[in-house]
Amino acid sequence: MFHKVLIANRGEIAVRIIRALRELGIKSVAVYSEADKDSLHAKLADEAICIGPASPVESYLNMERIISATISSGAEAIHPGFGFLSENAKFVEMCEKCNIKVIGPSSDVIRKMGNKSEARNTMTEANIPVVPGSDHIIYDVDEAHEFADKIGYPVIIKAALGGGGKGMRIAVNSREFEERFETARLESENAFADDGMYIEKYIVNPRHIEFQIMADSYGNVVHLGERDCTIQRNHQKMLEESPSSAISPEMRKVMGETAVRAAKAAHYENAGTIEFLLDKDNKFYFMEMNTRIQVEHPVTEMVTGTDLIKEQIFVAQGQELSFTQDDIKISGHAIECRINAENPDKNFMPCPGVINEIHIPGGNDIRVDTAIYNGYQVPANYDSMILKLIVHDQNRYCAIHKMQSALGELVIDGIDTNIDFLYGILDDQEYKNGDITTDYIKNYIKKRCEK
Amino acid sequence: MLNGVFKKTSYIPLDMGRDNSVIEPSVPDGLWKKCPSCKKAIYNEDLNNNFKICPKCGYHFRMNAKERIGIISDEGTFEEWDEHIDNTNPLNFKGYVEKIDRMKNKTGLNEAVITGKCKINKMTAAIAVCDSNFMMGSMGYVVGEKITHMFERATKEKIPVIIFTCSGGARMQEGIISLMQMAKTSQAIKKHSEAGLLYITVITDPTTGGVTASFAMLGDIILGEPGALIGFAGSRVIEQTLGQKLPEGFQRTGFLLKKGFIDRIVERNNMKNILSKLLYMHTKETASLRPPEYYNGRNFMSGIKTGMDKNKSPWEKVKISRDSKRCTAIDYINEIFKDFTEFHGDRCYGDDGAVIGGIATLAGIPVTVIGQQKGHNLRENQYRNFGMANPEGYRKALRLMKQAEKFNRPIICFADTPGAFCGIEAEERGQGQAIANNLFEMSALRVPIVTVMIGEGGSGGALALAVANEVWMLENATYSILSPEGFASILWKDSRRAEEAASVMKMTAQDLYKLKVIDRIIPEPSPASDTNLGLISRIIKNNLKEFLSLYMHMDKEEIVGRRYERFRNF
Repeated sequence: MFHKVLIANRGEIAVRIIRALRELGIKSVAVYSEADKDSLHAKLADEAICIGPASPVESYLNMERIISATISSGAEAIHPGFGFLSENAKFVEMCEKCNIKVIGPSSDVIRKMGNKSEARNTMTEANIPVVPGSDHIIYDVDEAHEFADKIGYPVIIKAALGGGGKGMRIAVNSREFEERFETARLESENAFADDGMYIEKYIVNPRHIEFQIMADSYGNVVHLGERDCTIQRNHQKMLEESPSSAISPEMRKVMGETAVRAAKAAHYENAGTIEFLLDKDNKFYFMEMNTRIQVEHPVTEMVTGTDLIKEQIFVAQGQELSFTQDDIKISGHAIECRINAENPDKNFMPCPGVINEIHIPGGNDIRVDTAIYNGYQVPANYDSMILKLIVHDQNRYCAIHKMQSALGELVIDGIDTNIDFLYGILDDQEYKNGDITTDYIKNYIKKRCEK
Repeated sequence: MLNGVFKKTSYIPLDMGRDNSVIEPSVPDGLWKKCPSCKKAIYNEDLNNNFKICPKCGYHFRMNAKERIGIISDEGTFEEWDEHIDNTNPLNFKGYVEKIDRMKNKTGLNEAVITGKCKINKMTAAIAVCDSNFMMGSMGYVVGEKITHMFERATKEKIPVIIFTCSGGARMQEGIISLMQMAKTSQAIKKHSEAGLLYITVITDPTTGGVTASFAMLGDIILGEPGALIGFAGSRVIEQTLGQKLPEGFQRTGFLLKKGFIDRIVERNNMKNILSKLLYMHTKETASLRPPEYYNGRNFMSGIKTGMDKNKSPWEKVKISRDSKRCTAIDYINEIFKDFTEFHGDRCYGDDGAVIGGIATLAGIPVTVIGQQKGHNLRENQYRNFGMANPEGYRKALRLMKQAEKFNRPIICFADTPGAFCGIEAEERGQGQAIANNLFEMSALRVPIVTVMIGEGGSGGALALAVANEVWMLENATYSILSPEGFASILWKDSRRAEEAASVMKMTAQDLYKLKVIDRIIPEPSPASDTNLGLISRIIKNNLKEFLSLYMHMDKEEIVGRRYERFRNF
């Protein structure tokens, strides 16, 4: 059993983790940067340690400082949240060497799944369908070009170490391939200090369906249904739902079982997500595995009645999963909206600043995960997501209405946000019909401009 | 705001007799290392995976001999020479023999240097690596003997030598015998050099005393690791003798580069690559050239439209030749040659930014390339001194030409200077002597020389790179006894009559061709800036290939003879 856990993160996810720890009677240690001294996670935790200047490299990404904070505070484990060091195999390896438990999979698994080509090879061996693509990292533009010509256009060029849409480009024909490849490579070099690239067939207008899985150290793997994250802008998710309106219960069963098989093939432990692309003909392909808790985990919690963060802690402590596959019943429908400090009319430019006034909606089955409060200054140094609004109701139709009502009540005064933009989506007939693909936002923005 | 308002975790520590099998979190020894330069903690594994270079600040940690051989040689190719040479104790110094034994046990080395032969990216070389862990890498009889024997053997086997130096200097315990090692090693290096073989030294931290004053400073090419200390007298000794503080970076490789004593600084992660490239460029096997007949009556300009404009006045050409957008030596060099590896310094005073030089390949043939370098803007020109060389610039050029002669490489020069730098210090260091010496030595170099005038050909400053077998000029370049302004001022006491002077001085390519001062005019699509760099370079390159095909097949006496006749005719 853990007595004290350090949270190597900030913002709403840090707050979410502190709450789970408190409910379990485990002491929490927050770490914060100089820019975050007034942030909620630092105030809410039982202990808080400043680990450096605002720049993430000097604080939330500084492995040495986080490890020394852990040791000096006497914590036995670290919860890395998402982003920052959450999928950094080297960090987890260092912790392992220092006898610190990182709440998540081992460094070996992170390394294996983090390397896109190795992940694909593992999946192919386990007979899990993958998008046609290169089976090794490509550095050479000529080799890449030849391969792209072979599998046919459009193709997507991805950084081998990539994530968050960085180092990613689409080439629709052979002529523009080389230029796109070079841009993606440059971006990757800048973002990840690595120029290894990976080419795969680009599935046009797919749906992005991901399965939440939970695995313990005894070989039990359970899936908790899917999340539909089709509503994205530049590969950044905006609105997520569970279950997906695109798949039938039979399809869910097949894909869920595939996800469990994938997790087993990776010898996975703790919470993870298997991302699939679903094409127009209802064929699905393994895309990647995320080896951390995800931003949108609350929608799964709402429809399954579980607490994934607590479950993560149990598994990390060496306990068995508290549920079996049979226990998991998807009930009703949940939607999450990501509220960002950004201006949709200025190409979603981040708008940090002081929150003058905030009004948070409430009511039956309405959940707000946030770290902002009245008078809080949103720092410019970090991700612009400031709040997650999640609603749950008996079906999609009711959930949409509940979300609209809740969004209408949500007031954040002082900074620009995307609340109205999201409100508009919930009002959009196309969205309501549920017949959407990943280019929905692009079209929606066009529609919005015309208005 | 919100300070101290939240209720914290109610927490009752249950003493459940803490499980002893649980190991408390702690940092194991050696997981991190502190960087002495940036003072940050570095993950040791990162350091070992990064050639022992600090990933945060680039500091090069010291490396032992075995690690060094590991990162430089191709796997499994290192063959050690003279592993066991018995130590002597020439002074019967008390405790010395015991100390050597202790060092052997402690370091696992037999002495302060490992010698042998290996392959570096498939190129064979004899290699010696000093190790500072063994009595500070000091040189006594055994070190001297191993180095000397390696050179003797390399001379016999006709292979190049690379030494990674690192030493506290002479070994005190061996007294005068240690001093003799300096002479012994140096004479073996001379023999190796006279056999026309390549010797590269790589200065690593720290290299001092008798090693600096012998084999470390004798390389044909001297490379240095960033930040490595190199000097003769120790800085503490100098400080105490002079009673003054030494400047920052004193005796570091950056300092020596500026002072002209090392050719270039190479980061450790690039060292193997650079070494193998240098070895490759010194192999005898060169790509085959087309026979001279191939070029008979061939027109390099076919299909190339040039802006040849017969109506440009000499003064207009003077202005064009001085245009800051005009392509400079380095622009052409990068475009025409492959693998240009720049070398710095004159090995006695400094490194002149107005002259660049190094080796490169042209159609697979290694060549020595030297150019007078102007900048395109003020900032560049502060470093390049507007292309006006100081004596150290001419001496660097000559040093590189002598090196070319040793390795039988043709020399290709790009002249572009308003003139030799006119200043007090330039005179103090012998500007006139430096130019004269270049004319004197160039006349007898036993390799082909070609000089291309690409911009301004200012007087003796340009001629110091132009005692060549052939001199070519870009169509709008100029070449003259001095600037038209200077000409007008001397003859007519009025520098404003420069335009008039230009028209009578016969300084354009067309005029000089008629006077046989130059041999070819390179047509110049205008403007000769970025837009046409590729085209002009191609024309120069084709001409160079033809030149080389003719001269590389020529007898050395004839090469020198032709050059003599060329200038004898004026």
